[in-house]
Amino acid sequence: MRDRLKGTKVARAAAVVLALTLGTGTWADDDIKVGAIFDLTGGLNIYGIQQSQALHLAVDSINAAGGVLGNQITVIENDAQSDLAKYTQYTNTLILRDQIDVLFAGLTSSSREAIRPIVRQKKVPYFYSALYEGGACDKQTFITGASASQQMSVLIDWAVREYGPRIYIMAPDYNFGTISAHWVEYYAEQFGAEVLGADFLPLTVTDYSPTIQKIQAADPDFVVALPVGANQTGFLEQFAAAGLKDKMGIVSTNYGSGNQQVVVSPDAGEGIVASQEYFMWIDEPNNEPFMALWEEAYGLDEPIISEAADVWNAVHVWAAAVEIAGTTDNDAVIAALESGVSFEGPNGTVSMQPGSHHLRQNIYIVRGNREHAFDVIEKFEYVAPSFEDEVCDLIANPDTAEHFVP
Amino acid sequence: MELDYLATVLLSSLSSASVLLIATVGLAIVFGLMGVINLAHGEFIMFGAYVALFATRSGVPFPLAVVLASVVTALFGAIVERAIIRHLYGRILDTLLATWGLSLVLYQSAVLIFGTVTPGVGMPQSNIEIGNYTLSTYLLFLILVAVVLIGLLYWLLTRTGYGIVARAAIQDPETAATMGIESGRINTATFALGSGLAGFAGAILLPAFPATPSMGFAFVIKAFLAVVAAGPVTLSGTVAAGGVLGSIASMTASFYTTVMGDVVFFIATITILRIFPLGISARWRLKL
Repeated sequence: MRDRLKGTKVARAAAVVLALTLGTGTWADDDIKVGAIFDLTGGLNIYGIQQSQALHLAVDSINAAGGVLGNQITVIENDAQSDLAKYTQYTNTLILRDQIDVLFAGLTSSSREAIRPIVRQKKVPYFYSALYEGGACDKQTFITGASASQQMSVLIDWAVREYGPRIYIMAPDYNFGTISAHWVEYYAEQFGAEVLGADFLPLTVTDYSPTIQKIQAADPDFVVALPVGANQTGFLEQFAAAGLKDKMGIVSTNYGSGNQQVVVSPDAGEGIVASQEYFMWIDEPNNEPFMALWEEAYGLDEPIISEAADVWNAVHVWAAAVEIAGTTDNDAVIAALESGVSFEGPNGTVSMQPGSHHLRQNIYIVRGNREHAFDVIEKFEYVAPSFEDEVCDLIANPDTAEHFVP
Repeated sequence: MELDYLATVLLSSLSSASVLLIATVGLAIVFGLMGVINLAHGEFIMFGAYVALFATRSGVPFPLAVVLASVVTALFGAIVERAIIRHLYGRILDTLLATWGLSLVLYQSAVLIFGTVTPGVGMPQSNIEIGNYTLSTYLLFLILVAVVLIGLLYWLLTRTGYGIVARAAIQDPETAATMGIESGRINTATFALGSGLAGFAGAILLPAFPATPSMGFAFVIKAFLAVVAAGPVTLSGTVAAGGVLGSIASMTASFYTTVMGDVVFFIATITILRIFPLGISARWRLKL
């Protein structure tokens, strides 16, 4: 059984590699061309592989139902190899050589910022599908992951009520971490809480003892922990082993987004609270068919991450907009996307906010259990990306191209 | 500053230095005794971690799993030495390229075989209280592990036949050969020892640092800096450099910020190399 499992995994991975090398094969002339760039290899592939899988699943499901505007969709995919420079290179190649109609790409904020100016200049609609720190505002760019303000507003409010008003922050030392920390402070103030301190950790740090001591010295009611990548899960392991979980709560906006709950031991993972736009364990009418489709294609050895749902929603929102526009022409598709397109996703109803190009969607607060999984504790319906809606209005100011920070 | 905080910082910086030493010592042996820079060292750590992980999950008690991981990684190292490294002796750049290639192959194989996430074994949930602070017992235990490990290695390399022969083979290969020492076999054994130590590191650190395909990368940067700062006297140099760098960085991180701790680590390395261009142990008269 073990061997067979391994065998299917290898075969699946081989299929991805094969799809990559054959991806630029032949297609009919009237096919609609979708470009994709994700990190299929390298350190970020804990997110990128599932993003790519979700894209293929969504395109296949649309094609099976007759395609878009009666045409089949072809995917042209590149592997960014967790290397930022590749994003710029492949975005240019996909647009100039392959003449794609739409681009789905990127995980890190830096990858999105590398792509944004290119698609803006070449006028190709671009979808970014990952939870992020928020604030990106650009006519060509559409975001289907949750923004920090979307997740933080509900999470901090909940945690202050649950644990108390004294907060400590552990975050990675780059823009996702620092901007998220800023949001924690913003909402702490709004909900009458206080941030006692923050420690920012470079991604190469493996020594978490100093952070754990500073947390003990500050003695907060709860810790906002934002570990990025699989390595920083060591922090959660050591946090639990030092006995801190009995003394304070621990909450996160990105824990689980890379399946960290699988890596940590039951002792460390139990009780960690996370908030995101999608978890495999939510109870929504469209989640079951989505999971069944996923299981048939890829199996469920690895739980489905939120970024996969984000990509699935992105492809369907785009397809809906093309159907409304009646063409894949850039301006018409963007106008259609700005008409308030909605889609029934695995995480309930999602709709594109016309002004901010962010998705209004449910946010779930979940708690880790001993089975490397989550129990849903609260659902916040149809949460608006309030910060982005406030600062970013691309209908009134179509020329805005900014990354707003709070 | 309260006394209990000071005591915790002291103990945990010792444990941080121990973690660094445990992760570094295999690299130091291979570099110091063979002149081979093994860029796949981090992936050897990862290899050991996965062996220990799967052994533990199939019912082997953890201490036995650590031994198993060390042995299996050592065997793997021996195969790598026979198949790749031995053809490249004396060609530093070529070994660099070959081991770097090997690291990519190992990393990607791990992703293909295990996927990107695998359930970990977890740390023993026990801790020691010092005033208002608690420290994980396992991290303190790693201090003891590092001390015993270094002691054993010192004994192995200075008091046993293998150790004397291994040092002879590297110090003067020709004389060693005329005296009937087969340097080829000694090199295989030494590379296997270094690999086994990497495997041991991955296994013994597994509870605190869960196994992931990319875990080696996190350890290897500082391990390399520690080895470079250590200089020619392999073992004591590494203990001095690793101990100083690891604990200074950790203490800085405790009193200021983790970013500052990282900065101090790099500044300290640069300072050591500025004062001792050949490493901290350049003028030591110790054997090892």
